[in-house]
Amino acid sequence: MQEVTLRVNGEDYTRKVEGRTLLAQFLRDQLRLTGTHIGCDTTQCGACTVLMDGRAVKSCTILAAAADGAEVQTIEGVAEGERLNFVQQAFHEHHALQCGFCTPGMVMAATDIIRRHEGVLDEMTVRRELEGNLCRCTGYHNIIKAVLAAAEVYRRSKAPAQATAN
Amino acid sequence: MNAHPDGGRSGNALGAGDIPQMNWDQTGPEMKMVRDALFRHVGKPVRRKEDHRLLTGKGRFTDDFLLEGQTYAAIVRSEHPHARIISISADAALAAPGVLEVLTGADMVQDGIGPLAHNPLPSTKFDMKLCAPGGGIPFVGEHHALAIDKVRHVGEAVAVVVAETPGQAADAAELVEVEYEALPHVVDSAQAAAQGAPVIWDEVPGNVFVESSFGDWDATERAFATAAHTVEADFHVSRVTAVTIEPRAAVAQYDPETGRYELFAGSGGAVKHKGELARCFGIDANRIRVHSYDVGGNFGARNRVYPEFALVMWAARRTGRPVKFTATRSEAFLTDYQGRDLRTKVALALDADGKFLAMRADNLSNVGAFCVSLSPLSKGAGLITGSYDIPVAALRARAVFTNTMCTQAYRSSGRPEVTYAIERLVELAARKLGVDPLELRRKNLVHPEQMPYRNAVGQYYDSGEYEQNMDRALELFDWDGFAARKDEASQRGKLLGRGFANYVESSIGSPKERAEIEVFDDGRIEVVIGTQPSGQGHETSFAQVVADMLQVPVERVFIIIGDTDVVSVGGGSHSGRSMRHAGTVMAMASAELLALARGHAAEMLETAADELAYADGVFHQRGTNRSVSLQDLAARLADPLRVVTDNEMHTPVFPNGAAICEVEIDPNTFHVAITRYVSVDDVGRCINPMIVHGQTHGGIAQGVGQAMWELCAIDHDSGQPIAGSFMDYGMPRTDNMPFFISEIAEVISPTNPLGVKAGGEGGTTPALATVTLAVLDALAGMGVEDIAMPLTPQAVWQAVQDAANTQAKK
Repeated sequence: MQEVTLRVNGEDYTRKVEGRTLLAQFLRDQLRLTGTHIGCDTTQCGACTVLMDGRAVKSCTILAAAADGAEVQTIEGVAEGERLNFVQQAFHEHHALQCGFCTPGMVMAATDIIRRHEGVLDEMTVRRELEGNLCRCTGYHNIIKAVLAAAEVYRRSKAPAQATAN
Repeated sequence: MNAHPDGGRSGNALGAGDIPQMNWDQTGPEMKMVRDALFRHVGKPVRRKEDHRLLTGKGRFTDDFLLEGQTYAAIVRSEHPHARIISISADAALAAPGVLEVLTGADMVQDGIGPLAHNPLPSTKFDMKLCAPGGGIPFVGEHHALAIDKVRHVGEAVAVVVAETPGQAADAAELVEVEYEALPHVVDSAQAAAQGAPVIWDEVPGNVFVESSFGDWDATERAFATAAHTVEADFHVSRVTAVTIEPRAAVAQYDPETGRYELFAGSGGAVKHKGELARCFGIDANRIRVHSYDVGGNFGARNRVYPEFALVMWAARRTGRPVKFTATRSEAFLTDYQGRDLRTKVALALDADGKFLAMRADNLSNVGAFCVSLSPLSKGAGLITGSYDIPVAALRARAVFTNTMCTQAYRSSGRPEVTYAIERLVELAARKLGVDPLELRRKNLVHPEQMPYRNAVGQYYDSGEYEQNMDRALELFDWDGFAARKDEASQRGKLLGRGFANYVESSIGSPKERAEIEVFDDGRIEVVIGTQPSGQGHETSFAQVVADMLQVPVERVFIIIGDTDVVSVGGGSHSGRSMRHAGTVMAMASAELLALARGHAAEMLETAADELAYADGVFHQRGTNRSVSLQDLAARLADPLRVVTDNEMHTPVFPNGAAICEVEIDPNTFHVAITRYVSVDDVGRCINPMIVHGQTHGGIAQGVGQAMWELCAIDHDSGQPIAGSFMDYGMPRTDNMPFFISEIAEVISPTNPLGVKAGGEGGTTPALATVTLAVLDALAGMGVEDIAMPLTPQAVWQAVQDAANTQAKK
């Protein structure tokens, strides 16, 4: 057992973990943040995607011990109170979720893509970069639409004041 | 397949005069009002009530539940496709850290736990009835939660280990020593049905345990004997698996004081699972409480009880602690109920003008080691003639045991298989006759004036405008612009192809449903219903229906599902039944509630019931300003303002449509890209178009997935499944799917008060055919005439090589 301290959704947690405990298991079982889902054993489905030090990572690929000292954001830390953030809102508006199991990972991965591209995205870029997140319900159609819409919201919010005014 | 099979019982699904009731005939003033009131919210893309919790990580999926003192189960599984169990030694496992219990099949027998109660024979009034060879009820094989004397497929559960942590359970499972005596195995359905195949069940020496005949065999023979043209083909619709992104899971606890089990397990219907588990344990159903809340995908795979559901319940009783099982993805690939795996030989007879005269089909379903469901075989049997007016047909339907995982209904059970067969056969006929395949289809489609249409195996299609679906799909696809697109692609060195398919499917499903509607004094209206969504948005679309019928805001209506202590009756969600069955019983319940409320309102306002007008949730006494709302009534009545309504409805409906796929093939890499996909779907009345389009998109992806990449590959020599992870099972992904063009056609079904058919599965049903035909079209210039799914680059390369070799020999 090893002691780790992580900042998760703005709060510090110190816990003892087994060497083999994955970050995904740590979040779900020890912190009871069950919004991070586990859908495979091989880091292929992306349901467990979280932001670690600002970057999207599949939390089933990272040992909790290796995440010691990291800052992690999970789906539970995205909304502002009850208010959905712009990515969540776009998923809601565009019906980008059905069963909802892949959704937390999709939202976290999309957030990373949008930020890295500063909101300037086209369909093919989203399709290429979101390829590591599997969904079985939507055929991805509305997910792609939602990410493009969220990117546009992001781009406008970051644009210089005069550009928005024009 | 020319001769009438010996021993098969001849007959249709329906007896003489047994015609489904085509017109919903329940009337009465309240029902009229309810039906007239519909469509304030209905037909609108109301955003989903479910989304907020799912988008903020507050969903309640099975593995999210943590019960106090919870322990973890790991399963020891057979590595043999077929073997006798000689001995099981648990000593080392029991001595491992944290281990509480190791249980085997022998313990299970000792504790009196019986086989899973699957009830595999479709049994509603209008299902195609399947029987044993020679008649009678088929032997289906006892599916025990743990193997007792023999294992019959790789992955079959042999023992369960319970430990304090998941890691300890997994470690100890590896220490359980099982000694086997390997037996000869067979995994392919045709080989299993052949003479001399290894026998999977001693009770069924030839492995074929279902053999039924349908249609008019003599008339079909006569038609084939005199037909100007005949075509025939032999297809295998490959085995795939549902790949719900949430792996299956279950957690149970047992209360020794009350003798009650409590099971949390996402499924396709908690009430059904409660009943089946009660039969498995030999106890009264009210000693089991099942919870099924958010379900991370179903597609048929979760409709039947899994062995682990019984195992965690039993282990919880034995250990006195709650026990959880969560499948790994490898376990899901190995032991989730799988889909398809149908062999079909089909033949079509045509006259000199291309009019279809008769059809023959010989279908063989691979059910795996135990018969969990015969739905795919039965559903397909009713639809072999597809969307076409074929006067006579003869069908033999058989099911066979093999040493493979069990198959079950999967995303449009049985229908994609037969649609693939008929649409490929029609294309073959068009080529043989040298006519335009679309014109051949048009000439033979069932026309609206023929509705209700009795097909050649006795199914009654309720309504539909098939040719209009075709026209609309062609227009949306820009069929006429294809030549220019093909030229453009060819300038880039690419091969473009297009594939068209019509489809019709049947929605039947469990016939009983109950709705309970209660109005509360805060204006809240709760509807308890026994369907089980897994992404279909029932909490929204059902609320839309009830809100319209009771004329209240949709925000005030809440749908309650998934706890069997609350939901007493319910058929679950399968076969496109949910909106039709729930909508119908909710309409009846709404009418009853309004009748009840009207009586109370009249009493309260001291007037006659027929003096009251009802609008926007309020009863008004005509010609006065006196009124009382549903909410007021709920607040002022001593008893709850509540109704409980039951309905039983057998009449099937027949969703239908047309779809077109365009593919682009790189002749250097043989990579196939989907460049355009159009789907037109007659779903009957559409309650929420946003949800229905979403369902269609997902349905298309699953059909395209099977055609392009997905395959539960099994090595025939070793009997080993070789697709055990996402590394070796190809999936639809963001970068291999296009945007879809989908359109909803609403031809109102006369069979139910809402006029609903069903949505979603229509995306899947034609897709195997459209994709395959598109690839064949693209490769036509290279002499390729046939190709089997999945259409991987290797398969395409092989087909091109084979065609070149054949041509070289000529």
